[in-house]
Amino acid sequence: MFRDVSFGQYYPGSSFVHKMDPRIKLVLTLLFMVGIFFVQSFAVFAFVTVFLLAIIFIARLPLRSVLKSIKGIIVLLVLTSLLNIFFTKGVEGEEPLWAWRKIEIYVTGLKQAAKIFLRLVYLVMGSSVLTLTTTPVDLTHAVESLLKPLRVRKFPVHEFALIMSLTLSFIPSLIDETDRIIRAQKARGADFDTGGLIKRAKAFVPILIPLLVGGFRRAEELANAMNSRCYEGATKRTCMRVMKLTWRDFVGGFVVVAFFTGVFLLYGMANKWGNIIWLYY
Amino acid sequence: MEIIRLDNVSYYYKAYNDDGTVGSAVGVEGVTLSIEEGSFVALVGHNGCGKSTLAKLMNGLLIPKSGTVTVNGLNTADRDNIFEIRKNVGMVFQNPDNQMVASIVEEDVAFGPENLGVPQPEIVERVYEALEQVGMAEYAKSSPHRLSGGQKQRIAIAGALAIRPRVLVLDESTAMLDPLGRREVLDVAHKLNVGGMTVVLITHFMEEVLDCDSVVVMDNGHVVRVGTPGEIFEDSSLLGNVGLKAPRTIALAQKLADAGFDVPRDQRDAGKLGGDVCQSLKK
Repeated sequence: MFRDVSFGQYYPGSSFVHKMDPRIKLVLTLLFMVGIFFVQSFAVFAFVTVFLLAIIFIARLPLRSVLKSIKGIIVLLVLTSLLNIFFTKGVEGEEPLWAWRKIEIYVTGLKQAAKIFLRLVYLVMGSSVLTLTTTPVDLTHAVESLLKPLRVRKFPVHEFALIMSLTLSFIPSLIDETDRIIRAQKARGADFDTGGLIKRAKAFVPILIPLLVGGFRRAEELANAMNSRCYEGATKRTCMRVMKLTWRDFVGGFVVVAFFTGVFLLYGMANKWGNIIWLYY
Repeated sequence: MEIIRLDNVSYYYKAYNDDGTVGSAVGVEGVTLSIEEGSFVALVGHNGCGKSTLAKLMNGLLIPKSGTVTVNGLNTADRDNIFEIRKNVGMVFQNPDNQMVASIVEEDVAFGPENLGVPQPEIVERVYEALEQVGMAEYAKSSPHRLSGGQKQRIAIAGALAIRPRVLVLDESTAMLDPLGRREVLDVAHKLNVGGMTVVLITHFMEEVLDCDSVVVMDNGHVVRVGTPGEIFEDSSLLGNVGLKAPRTIALAQKLADAGFDVPRDQRDAGKLGGDVCQSLKK
């Protein structure tokens, strides 16, 4: 039942993007996500499209795997697009494109919807380039390393990262266990596939309870194992993994930063000189 | 030289009675035991006899309610000693899945040295040395959940070895494995023992006891007998009392010897036993 759930969607490879430092990739992805919101015209969207496709090409990712990530937000996409189409009022003096009773559709609304649609799609595609080229473990290390400054403020950075990495490493065995419990309950005649919503929800109780109990047992054993290996929190702890910046990080970082500096500049220009038509529409 | 010493040690678990009042259940009671450095000791007994409790007392996971446990001269009851003790006594548990802290083999093995604050280059050195010792170096970058049970348990042993302990306690580490995995783990344990490591093997598979220097038989929280495997297997009434059985081949060899065949009483190899019987018949 849960066999095909793969956590994290790492796509193994050794491309330029794969080899970049996860910290840099994380920061650049955040920059990308912020940058997308400063794209206002379709012309600039075209630039972003080319840029994103170029990154995907350099990362040697099959386009399909990147597009697959959109599946998860389809409902959101349809909903926001429809809302924008139907509820955006046209600019002054604009004739509705189509009207029926109180429902009016304006060209402005269609444009608005298309832009929101593109923004969301690029947002998800951009972040999936990160998760496709970076292992969950690397991401955890990147988060720990980037949050380190917060340690001064007593934020438990190490504990936070450890919880993340333990969660990641226990997911496969919890999935296995769930699978096993489901089969065991089925063998005793449990029925998960028929009946109404409430009946089905109830059928999951005999799965959740053993899973929870098992989880506590595992936690206890893990605590013993960690104690036996001299764990005592973050004090004096060292780390085997060293993250080093290479020329790739400087080149990649420079290109992305330069691109979005351009985007920000265009945004500023469009606001200042709204009459430069291609920047605004 | 003795490395671990237990003096009249007792430990009780909190237990809830049927009427909801809190009582206690015996973990171990009045145990006195000494483990020599470099020896290979087996702790046997059926389920609930206190062998795992005894293991957890050996590295301060549990602190005795009465009596003392000393490791290399340090008392486990003293909290200041606890890390020094755990550096000396590595422990591997039953379920390999529940001991993995990272989703990459080498990072899991590195967990111990990282905790000790070992400098980075030395961590790498220790990790690969430990993986080499258990024969898993080629899997350093793999993800543990794709490995077999025996392999995972060898990784867990490597995790303990990376701390460079003097004693390795295997707390039912073979119980969840298939025969092949059990063989792998035992081979590693014996190889380490030859290299000078003290090994405490906790098990209820009597076949695993054969190659040990000494066997500690436990029942109901008490140590009922300490002896060599040969001595223990000869005493069938003792084994019967604590709910254990000698390995089948040895039991057969003993019966054949009793019946007048000229076979060694501790013959463990079924093939050789067959040969012995033939020889004996020819005479």
